[in-house]
Amino acid sequence: MTNARRHALILLWWLALLAAAVGLQQRLVVSGDLREFMPPPTNAEQNLLLDAIGAGPASRLLLLAIGGAPPEQLAALSDGLVRALRADAHFERALNGGGAIDALDPQLLPYRYLLSTTLDEHALDAAYLHEELQQRVEDLGSPAAEMLKDLLPRDPTLETLKLAQRWTPRHAPLLRDGVWFSPRHEALLLAQTRAAGFDPRAQAQAVATLQTAFAALPNAAGAQLTISGPGYIGVQVGATTRGEAERLSAFGAAGFVVLLLLAYRSVGVLALVALPLLSGALAGAAAIALLFGSMHGITLAFGFTLLGVAQEYPLRVFSHRRRDADVQTSVREVWPLLRLAIVSACIAYLAFLASGVAGLQQLAVFTISGLLVAGAATRRLLPPLLAPTFRDVADSAWLEQLRARIERVRRPRWLPWLLFALALVGLWLAPTPLWQNDLAALTPASPALLAREGELSAALGAPDVRYLLVLEAPTADGVLAAAERISPQVDKWISAGAVDDVELPSRWLPSVATQRARQARLPDRATLAAALDAALAQTDFQPGLFTPFLDDVETARHLPALTPEQFARTPFGARLQAMLVRRDGRWLGLATLSGVHDAAALKLDANSNAHVLDLKVASEALVAAYRTRILFALAAALVLLALSVAVAFRDWRRAWHVIAPMSLATLLAFAVLRAGGISLSLFHLVALTLAAGLGLHYALFFERPVADRAEARRTLHATLVCAGSALLVFGLLSTSALPVLRAIGLTVALGVLFHFCLSIQMARPR
Amino acid sequence: MRLLRKPLLLHGQLDYAGPGKLGKRVDAPYRETTTIADGTVEVMREGRATKHFDLQHAPELQALLTGFSALLGGDAATLQQFYTIDFVEKDATWTLTLTPRAPDLLRHLRALIVMGKASEPRCFTLQQADGDSSTMLLGALAAAALPPAPTPAAIAALCTQP
Repeated sequence: MTNARRHALILLWWLALLAAAVGLQQRLVVSGDLREFMPPPTNAEQNLLLDAIGAGPASRLLLLAIGGAPPEQLAALSDGLVRALRADAHFERALNGGGAIDALDPQLLPYRYLLSTTLDEHALDAAYLHEELQQRVEDLGSPAAEMLKDLLPRDPTLETLKLAQRWTPRHAPLLRDGVWFSPRHEALLLAQTRAAGFDPRAQAQAVATLQTAFAALPNAAGAQLTISGPGYIGVQVGATTRGEAERLSAFGAAGFVVLLLLAYRSVGVLALVALPLLSGALAGAAAIALLFGSMHGITLAFGFTLLGVAQEYPLRVFSHRRRDADVQTSVREVWPLLRLAIVSACIAYLAFLASGVAGLQQLAVFTISGLLVAGAATRRLLPPLLAPTFRDVADSAWLEQLRARIERVRRPRWLPWLLFALALVGLWLAPTPLWQNDLAALTPASPALLAREGELSAALGAPDVRYLLVLEAPTADGVLAAAERISPQVDKWISAGAVDDVELPSRWLPSVATQRARQARLPDRATLAAALDAALAQTDFQPGLFTPFLDDVETARHLPALTPEQFARTPFGARLQAMLVRRDGRWLGLATLSGVHDAAALKLDANSNAHVLDLKVASEALVAAYRTRILFALAAALVLLALSVAVAFRDWRRAWHVIAPMSLATLLAFAVLRAGGISLSLFHLVALTLAAGLGLHYALFFERPVADRAEARRTLHATLVCAGSALLVFGLLSTSALPVLRAIGLTVALGVLFHFCLSIQMARPR
Repeated sequence: MRLLRKPLLLHGQLDYAGPGKLGKRVDAPYRETTTIADGTVEVMREGRATKHFDLQHAPELQALLTGFSALLGGDAATLQQFYTIDFVEKDATWTLTLTPRAPDLLRHLRALIVMGKASEPRCFTLQQADGDSSTMLLGALAAAALPPAPTPAAIAALCTQP
């Protein structure tokens, strides 16, 4: 093949990959929804939990503050932003404190007698009316007179205000110029996204929309918009992690290029070295797109990590070229071992397919198809494209010296057993819990972000993301009744200071039974008119002033009870609708808590059909269950791997020489992490798996009987380049301050080190 | 809109105890004590539970209080900041009209009018946006005999009588 043709083909390969990447980007949906990466829920509680984690009302709230301008301008900006967000499909609702009192639909005004608690304690008789009217006279002599004047003829007992007060959060921010303001003189707003809180992609879109909408407001210049809330923090943390990973990977890639240039003294290998891995990754993504349609972001990250073993395939091909044979011959000689590594890894990942978790199945499909394509590309496409001129790496003198030195290394048979014992001691002495169940601890948000969220959340009285009060009943009305039953208990919590506020669905709408009971206490028109006349006798109110009141009460006596469906059409309806969820033929009520000070005090009767759900504890339990599945899948994978190596060798002794160093190195890496006080997470497990895959290569190639010292030098060279590049890339990641990157980097780097040393100790034939 | 058959006449006492501190006591026709201090409003009515609320929850009241304090404390600069001031002298009597600058306050309060003679303020009138008004008679006038249904014109005449 001519050089020109070779170069053209390499370019063609790159272009084909690029085209495939562009095509896939349009077809494959990468979702950030954590729920896809969790085990399927096995009971109603977990089902609800998965919903609540991402879709619960609290996790979808964005907390906004506008500052840096005079109050009037801030208030105008606040109003403008709320209007813009209400018209935007990304947001379900937007609140800024404006328009609270007249928000009850005029059509529904007579319902105030069924919604307000007044009739539970008082009858509308002459004594009560007299007392109320006397207070109204006093109100007219106070600065509040102006506000009440329009209301009085229709509503002398001020039920409208009582409802407005009932529907105002207990810790609502201060109102100024008609909108919420913080003690720091910023206008405050709440926006609820349609997208789930833990869908970083959708949250990022919502945040971008929000920022655009704000910037588009007239006189937004000079004012600053601060955003906070769970979704926003997720977006920020994701961006920080990605930025850090990209930065460290760029350093790693630069180091890798230098390493390649030193190892092969050829620029040409740079154009080729990435092609098999990229082909494999794209094939994996294409397989996911075909079989699943969408892919979780974590699957993609884990899949790329596991596929990292494929980076070794072209390196083995480069290092094993020899002067006295053409490239096809030298590839044919190392191919059986590479094929064995690929096939046994693929068989091992089949265990993931059986796990029953969508995320793990996707991971298996991605990794298996990626490894197969990367292997096939290395075997079939790569060799013809290699430059005809090359340097046989066996020629270097220092490599022979190193080989001879390694040859002389003493390999006492007791050493592996000693290391095994030390590893067990290390595991035994480990000072921390074995598992880190809190996934968020791996990607922590900056203290400044959290402090700002805490401040805004307190100023807005925003609901707690961690706790949720769940009510259950066969009907929606049953949920409302259950909420009414626990309401006295909830009031006790609040007065005891255990929690600042609990927003029960019954705060918005009483059950039908309660509405009927109140309705039954409403007097008929003649009785009420007589009572009113008696009450008015000693006051100066204009005669006939309260006719609208008499009309409303009469109307209220004949109203059908207000149902959640009807209430849903009112301005407050969305609030109630978000709290009532139909699931599996039953109804759930989700009440949000704000300002939880003493979670242990929030206990409810077992027969109240209600309980407080701690989302953190529950989701950690879910992660633990999930990890158990991964552990079983990994154990099964290891057994399958050992079996396939043994079957391929048809020799248990040789198989043991490969499996033993790999297993011991994995155990050692695990023990060192634990002895260093690190609690393990999914990320550590995936990193240990990658290291084991790399270790399999080292052991397989060291174990291979070779014809001469030159071939032994080539094996050593290949393994040095492979291990060196892995140490470089993952060693850099381990320097990160971000726990998730450090977890992956440190684990792989430690693993590679142990696998390399133990393969030298244990894999080579004696 | 007229809710009552005749104007509401309150008798009582107003105490100004320095900036931000105001007390209003109503003795008749009912008893009520309102105290504003340290940003908190406390309303005590005979035979009922005392009500407290944060002054910041009632920005209009706060603006009124600031104006009031400035007026009684002789703080012209603060007064200028919150109100446009119009001063008219006629014979020995004078009328000071304060119009709120804040649009929010203006929605409820058209003007705050103080009428007096020489160095003695006599009447303090709050003119609401819908035309209703309430007048407080101070000093010697507090004891003046009023007709059973006084009109705003009659009260104004009383305040500006030489």
